[in-house]
Order: sequence, then C-alpha cells, then structure tokens
Amino acid sequence: MKDSISQLMDGELDDHSAAGTIKACGQGGEALETWRTYHLISDAMRDSRVLSAGFSARLAQRLEAEPTVLAPQRKRAESRTWVALSAAASFAAVALVGVVTFAPQFSTGPASIAQTPALQAQPELALQQPVMPPSAANDYLLAHQGFSPRVSFQGMAPYVRSVSDQARGPRK
Amino acid sequence: MTLGQALGLSVVLCAGLAQAQTPEALGWLRKIHDATHKLSYSGTFVYQSGTRSETSRITRFADAGGDIEKVEVMDGVPREIVRTRDTVRCYLPESRVVKVERQIDRAGAERGFPILLPERISALGRHYDITVGEAPRRVAGFDCRTVTLTPKDDLRYGHTLYADVKTGMLLKAETFDAKGGLVEQFSFTQLTIGGVSRDRVKTRHAAQSWRVENSDAAPANLGGWGLSSELPGFRKVAELKRRLGEAGAVGQVVYSDGLAAVSVFIEPLEGRRDPVRAGLASVGAIHIYTKEVAKHMVTVVGEAPAASVQRIANAVEFRRPQ
Repeated sequence: MKDSISQLMDGELDDHSAAGTIKACGQGGEALETWRTYHLISDAMRDSRVLSAGFSARLAQRLEAEPTVLAPQRKRAESRTWVALSAAASFAAVALVGVVTFAPQFSTGPASIAQTPALQAQPELALQQPVMPPSAANDYLLAHQGFSPRVSFQGMAPYVRSVSDQARGPRK
Repeated sequence: MTLGQALGLSVVLCAGLAQAQTPEALGWLRKIHDATHKLSYSGTFVYQSGTRSETSRITRFADAGGDIEKVEVMDGVPREIVRTRDTVRCYLPESRVVKVERQIDRAGAERGFPILLPERISALGRHYDITVGEAPRRVAGFDCRTVTLTPKDDLRYGHTLYADVKTGMLLKAETFDAKGGLVEQFSFTQLTIGGVSRDRVKTRHAAQSWRVENSDAAPANLGGWGLSSELPGFRKVAELKRRLGEAGAVGQVVYSDGLAAVSVFIEPLEGRRDPVRAGLASVGAIHIYTKEVAKHMVTVVGEAPAASVQRIANAVEFRRPQ
C-alpha cells in the first residue's frame, strides 16, 4: 500500500489502481496516515511555502461548513495541529484527485454536486500546482501548438491556450 | 440464414460502415479546411474550459501572396500572436519579450507538415467516426452545420465543429471526453468575413527593443531516444532540436494521429538549478506530464486525454546507439 500511495503522489498509477488507492486513503487508518506523512515529507523536502498565514485554519473552517465530497475523513478528537495537517492533506487530496481522475469533469455528475465549491475548485487547484513555473509551461505550449493539425481547421485560435491568470502566481 | 438474409445483413453492415465516414462529412471537413486557408475575416471568440473563460480577437488577411493571422488575448495576461507564412511571433508586453517560432517543416512539403493536407482528411476516418449533424445550428448569427468526430477508442478526444453553411468558416469547436463531457470550447461571438486590410494584422507593439527568444528549430536525429511502445494511431511526424524560452538545446519529437498531436521534449538535467518535479498539469484539452528519464527531463505535451499523454511519457526511453 505504501508503494501505491507513493506512486499515486507521483502520478504513476493507472486509473484503476489509483481509484483503489484513493479509496483506501479515504477509509482512514494506516493508508491515510501514510498519505499524510508522505505529503508532509514532500512539502518539507520541497520547502513549500505556498500557503498564506492562517490558511489551514481558514480552510478547516470552510471545510466544516461545506459538504466535502472528496476529502478524507477527519478525526474530530484530534488536536488543533492535526486538524491543520489534515486540512492540508485534504487540500492536497482534492488537488490530486482532480488530477488523478483526469481533469475537470464538467458536465458529468449531478448538478448539485457540481455546484459544491470543493469540486468547482478542482480545475483551479490543478492549475495552481503545475509541475513547472507558468512561464516555462507556456514555452512548451507555444512550441507544441505549431505541430497541431488542428491549426488547419481552426487557424491560430488554439494558441490562446496558455497557463495564465490563476496560475500567474507571485513574480520572483 | 438464407442467402437473402445474409445479403440483407451485409447491406446493413456496409451501410453502418459507410455511415461512420460519409462523403458528405468528409466534404464538410474539406470545406472547413479550405475556408481556414482562403478567407479573410475578423472577429471575437471566447475560449472556455471549466470555470475559465477568455475572450480574444482574431484577424486574418489572405491574398495571393500568402496570409497573415493575428490573435490578441483580451483577458488576463496580455498576449498577441502573429503568424506569417512560416513564422509565429508571440508578443508579451508585460515582460517585453517576443518569442519566435519558425515552422521548419512547412517548407519540406512532402509530408505537408504541419498543415493537414486535404487528401489526409479521409485518413481521419481510421481513428474517428465522422458524421454530419441533422439539424442546422446557429452561432453568432451564422447558420451552421455540425461535423462530429467521435474517437473509436478512449486514447483521443472527440470534436464537434460548427461550420458556416455558406463559406465553411468554423464558428465553434467543442472538444469532449469519452463520457461526452465538455473539455473545452472555442466559440465566435462576432465574426465579419472579408473586408480586412493588411495593416490590421500587423502587431500593435513597437517591439524593437524587446528581448527576442528565437526557437532556432532545425530537423535533427535525437539518436537513441524513442518510445518502447507507440500509442495506437499516433506516428512520429517530426523530430527536431530547438531552443525553448531561455533554456539551451532541447529535443522535440512529435507524434500525431492526424488530428491530435503529442510533443515529447527532452532536456539534459545537467546544469539545471531545480530538481525535476514529476507530475501532471493541464490547460483545457492539453495535458502536460513531466518525468525524469536517463538523467534527462522529459516533458510530454499533447491535446489528448491525460492517460494518453502519460502512456507516451512512460514509454519514453533512451537506448545507447550501437
């Protein structure tokens, strides 16, 4: 299971195994612990400081107020620290599930679920955590588009696709 | 089964096959293709993907001497893209940078690359069922016919194209996934065909003093790099060395099924400041997957479902040339 979770985080699992692993994490216990720990390690190693002060607490508060369809269960008895960690893990889980289930599923599923903020946030989260800085991603996109046969049907319109806005992030 | 029944069945089967790719549908695709290459027009379109929506202006000037096309993104980070016969220039006023991409393969027309030649349109039927919609649809005041390309497997996305009945001009394009969910959409809100002068497709930026990032792309053999197994229907259509942004030499190999394309970028890790962050990102129908292979950073970019892009990424291998 530990291997699967590690692979899941690296995006190396196929659809089927990913679904199984996510389910296992969702059921809590050792799998969820591993999930949390690995993310903590990975954040520490990358020295991620992407969250603003008080972010976890605010997120925890909002999670409390919303039906969080995809987040793993939180243990209520735990200390405040754990709530914060768990919220961070949930944040990561929502982002990751958005990616692992392969992008926003816009018109599928009941409308009531699609309306929940947790799900709507998915595409944005996926974009907020691109695997490379936006400017670099745009270089790849530009370099790729010229080879797309779509240009033959659509002209230059597809070139507007780029990582921008939400993914713009702080300038260095 | 009597002979008559057998004949009847085979007629039904043939009809079924024929329906998957009618001459009418292919005719519409050719009409869209021709309109894209021959018409002058100006208009405004909206690009939508999920909760994101972005408005752009597009202007195209075509005459016997060739064609020039300009796109200005009106929302978010300002960008202007101007394509002449063989060069795409992307102007970024905020950072005062011009990115220059030369379409190296266009001159070597034997493959007709990257332009999809009309005679290649019928080959699309190998991977897509191509059908014409029954009912006419109206987009931005134009009466349109729809052509739908439904993929025969889940390795590629499907598309519905809305074409002006009179000119064949593409007014709207939808991309959908295997479940029929909308992945992204381009849709004109206003379009004027004709009446474009050459000065309207010039850049509005005085970019002489801006930094120029030239792609310096040239066909090359990236000896040793390849795929351990190809994605069904996708074949190699280009292999080159180029520059990417401020980075040094980068290898690019492009695979295509005739409609979708997937690029594999290969960069040496040596001299990189940051470690490779493996993982997946997406912009509309385009997925980007990064991983490390043989001390190189491999980045796969394609307008295909994430699973397809990931499959290609996981098949990338380096074999030391013998």
